[in-house]
Amino acid sequence: MRNRLKELRTERSWTQADLAQRVGVSRQTINAIEKGKFDPSLPLAFRLARLFESKIEEVFFAD
Amino acid sequence: MTADDTVGSLREAAKMTGQLALWTVAWVATLALARFGPAHLWDFKVTASWVAVAANLAVGVGWIVAHARYIRKIDELQRKIMQDALAVTLGVGWVGGLAYVATDAADLIANEVSIGTFAASLAVVYMVAIVVGHFRYR
Repeated sequence: MRNRLKELRTERSWTQADLAQRVGVSRQTINAIEKGKFDPSLPLAFRLARLFESKIEEVFFAD
Repeated sequence: MTADDTVGSLREAAKMTGQLALWTVAWVATLALARFGPAHLWDFKVTASWVAVAANLAVGVGWIVAHARYIRKIDELQRKIMQDALAVTLGVGWVGGLAYVATDAADLIANEVSIGTFAASLAVVYMVAIVVGHFRYR
């Protein structure tokens, strides 16, 4: 699954650690999601989408 | 999720880690007592040995529950790494254990391997699998 996490995060000048802290996961988790190595759970995907004030399908896309 | 919720969940995860560490230490201590107590502390008195084994089993159940709670509380990537490592360890234990039984039954092994060696090997496999998991998601 692809995503716009890095783009949305850098638009806000947040570090991976900032984003991780805001959604309650580790920095390693954010890094793995951004690199497409790990697909987040649905609750985490919703938390990320809500944080970026977007719909979930505007943040995450099927390959 | 608010910032307070996030900090709260991180605090709770740290608390669970501490609790798991305490349960692990308690389990190892009661195991050592049950293993070495009969020879070194109570001269093979049956009642004392049974009490030590029962204490080890009771603390072991607590350790299992603490471990399950810990896995539910940790960060989801950490949980995946840990679950993958547990799956590898279970597979190695199952396959390796039964292969050992087969080779032992066929009289192909000269020396008996103790159950302690088997448990230690699984612990090594688990730790290696955890490290590999962290590298995979780096």
